[in-house]
Amino acid sequence: MNDRPRVRFSQHTLANGLRLVIAPDRVAPVVAINLWYDVGSKHEQPGKTGFAHLFEHFMFQGSRHVAKAEHLAIVQGAGGVLNATTYFDRTNYFETLPSHQLELGLWLEADRMATLLDAMSQDNLDNQRDVVKNEKRQSYDNRPYGSFYEKLMAAVFPPGHPYHHTPIGSMEDLDAASLEDVAAFFRTYYVPNNAVLTVAGDVDEAPVIEAAERYFGPIEPNAELPVFRRPSFAPLVSLRELVPDDVPLERVHVGYRCPAFGTHEFDALEVGTQILAGGRGSRLHQRLVRAEQTAQDVAFFALPLVAGSSIAAGWVTARPEVDVATVETMLDEELRRMTREVVTDDELARAHALIESSEMSALSHMDEVADRLSMYTTYFDRPELVNEQLGRYLAVDAEAVRDVCTSVFGGDRATITYVPRTPEEAAA
Amino acid sequence: MNDRLTVLDQRPQPGEPRHYDFPDFERTRLGNGLTLVRAHVPGRPLLQAQLLVRGDAGGGATSEEPQQAGVTVLAARAMSEGTAVRDAVAFVEASERLGAEMGAAAGWDSLALHLEVPRTHLAQAMALFAEMALQPSFPAREVERLRDERINDLRQVMADPRRRAEKAFSSVIYAAGAPYSRPAGGVEETVAPLDRDIVAARHRGLLRPEACTLLVCGDLAGLPLDDIVADSFGAWASDTASRAAALAPDRRAEGRRVVLVDRPGAPQSEIRIGHVGTPRRIDDFHALSVTNALLGGLFNSRLNRLLREERGYTYGVSSGFEMRRAAGPFAVRCAVESDVTAPAIADIMAELARVREASVEPDELDAARDYLVGVFPLRFETSAQVADALAGLIVLELPDVELDRYRPSIAAVSVDDVRAAAEAHIHPDAASIVVVGDVARFEAALRAADYAAVEVVHDDGFEPDAEV
Repeated sequence: MNDRPRVRFSQHTLANGLRLVIAPDRVAPVVAINLWYDVGSKHEQPGKTGFAHLFEHFMFQGSRHVAKAEHLAIVQGAGGVLNATTYFDRTNYFETLPSHQLELGLWLEADRMATLLDAMSQDNLDNQRDVVKNEKRQSYDNRPYGSFYEKLMAAVFPPGHPYHHTPIGSMEDLDAASLEDVAAFFRTYYVPNNAVLTVAGDVDEAPVIEAAERYFGPIEPNAELPVFRRPSFAPLVSLRELVPDDVPLERVHVGYRCPAFGTHEFDALEVGTQILAGGRGSRLHQRLVRAEQTAQDVAFFALPLVAGSSIAAGWVTARPEVDVATVETMLDEELRRMTREVVTDDELARAHALIESSEMSALSHMDEVADRLSMYTTYFDRPELVNEQLGRYLAVDAEAVRDVCTSVFGGDRATITYVPRTPEEAAA
Repeated sequence: MNDRLTVLDQRPQPGEPRHYDFPDFERTRLGNGLTLVRAHVPGRPLLQAQLLVRGDAGGGATSEEPQQAGVTVLAARAMSEGTAVRDAVAFVEASERLGAEMGAAAGWDSLALHLEVPRTHLAQAMALFAEMALQPSFPAREVERLRDERINDLRQVMADPRRRAEKAFSSVIYAAGAPYSRPAGGVEETVAPLDRDIVAARHRGLLRPEACTLLVCGDLAGLPLDDIVADSFGAWASDTASRAAALAPDRRAEGRRVVLVDRPGAPQSEIRIGHVGTPRRIDDFHALSVTNALLGGLFNSRLNRLLREERGYTYGVSSGFEMRRAAGPFAVRCAVESDVTAPAIADIMAELARVREASVEPDELDAARDYLVGVFPLRFETSAQVADALAGLIVLELPDVELDRYRPSIAAVSVDDVRAAAEAHIHPDAASIVVVGDVARFEAALRAADYAAVEVVHDDGFEPDAEV
């Protein structure tokens, strides 16, 4: 057998602009249905942030034929699982069902795309605003180091830039949102010509096309879909922030601007971050955690953002007896080494081997296959990247890693340091 | 209006369900007594191997000496930190060169070593895996680092309300000194004295070929698996280590308790309600699974519908039986705003009573059965998931047909079966209550409710009986 599994798929477009990707795979009697809307927090206007994420909640509050909170009950009752997520560049909605429930899944997604506004009310808006506020408290405010994400994005991307704010948005903006604001956002973006539907798993192509046509075909497109324009903005200027917070250990976070997801430079950067911090054999782990025992944990990664540029970020948590400045110096030394010398053949070979296993693992999950097909179609109109991406990583050489590290880590960065609050600060 | 949208007026009916079988597996034995189980899963080139010390051989934390509680978990974590052949760094790098992930983990019932690797590298990876299993060197420096990390982690438990509640709950429902009353990873007093010699001795005592099963799952087509396994594990000889004594880990505490752990100013109460549950090997396992799904397993379960959807007390509430070789805990878990702590507990108690006292509705029974039957194939997409399922059979000593009979057995559960399972396994009158939260805001209400004498614990103080 071929050890790099290839995903077989076909691509179609309905008359209303909905793009459809079908990937039959008979390994198990399950079907993954995955819908990407090309709307994320980067599309939100200043003063109206958090809307894309708010819809992640609205989409479970009912539509014309589905009662409030019934969506989840219907999917579970049919023997399925589901979820939805919101990101800077997009929002995705997905469910995995026994394959004989394919039509139920398509119907649920079509009903909310076509008729969500039927179920939207002031009560619903108020209620879901409260849920989102609780979610923000739980996931960001009431969690050690929980504010770093917002702080780092805001520091690396200037005000006015679409990545300046995170998907959770501003609670003030949500409070100020009217029902009409929210409905207008839905009518603009949650339309067939702004979506990609992927169906992967135990299905035949023809019945999926027929059912998708039947349920989604009648939904009107938005003839005036706004075109997202990539921002231009000034280079990052180094900045540094000290945050006394309710944290057990000191930690330093850093963020750099980097090339966008989809470029060969981004592929090389991902290989570089694998060598730098991807697991127990990586440079930062071997030196800081194991050899010198100055760090409790380390991380370094690049976010897959597509609008012109992205962010490469990392952190080091200092051990209780170690000063955070010490671990920051060590981090700097290791970043500088990535820009000065090429990585060794052995490091590159290990990174390639781990990336290959990780890609194999991802593609053994039907929901992940579907999600990747939706992603590559939404971002690049190239679902075939699902089979090409591994080859792109394996083609990255040591010079390419050094070159991208030089351009990224040689530039300015944002540095955010968390230190435990003193008792006086905590009482204030 | 768009008339063509009337197609949405009709909710679609399901098609004909497709057949699903759990992958076939085959059992053989090597000359030295090691059992080999293989499951061929076509289209899954990333393989998973596990070496298990079987539950009947006392492989997990249950069989360790009480004064060394936590030694099995520490031994497992330290196994990939170097071998007789190479040090920790060289071992990690050798594994990475093969694109492999290796490690070990211990629970109450078993010690399990695991290997994940692309099939093209299986032979080399299996040799390295055997090196980790049979010749770990347990360097003092690495063992001490992992021991200190465990102690740091135990201290962090006290700061995390959710983990604090779990710790208190186990110590309340099980008798003092029973293994299940503490975490499998041990407590500070038993972990602190552990060293590389104690860890190495525990490893020697557990790993004997005749007590172990090697599982290999994934796309095995064309691989010389027998040769690969014989080359790596064939020369493994049994030593005469004594078999670990089986203890009774699940002795229950006398009577129910209400324990409130004070966190002044906490915005939420972490609630745990329940009692000692049941071992995994029971005749009414499937009826009990359905019962729990409709009580607190599904989004639309009785508990979640009431506490989340109707009352708005919580973001979510769940119930569950943790089934081990012996009787693990049954618990209802949720976090609620402080001021509704007492009414939320009253609601939970009422639901625990109702599921025993009245028959369930046919539609809630259908939803629970359809959910469990439907998601079954979703649980076995990868080689690792298939291996985990087989490991469960081996550790719990379940029959080989257990996975094949799961779906028909769930589908056959009746209204009466649910009622009987609830009566046999859910006992609100015996349920203890643990709350971690701002005690001043609900203590009086819980005293008035009179489930049992209310005990208040202040973590920072020196309460004589504060050991919960």
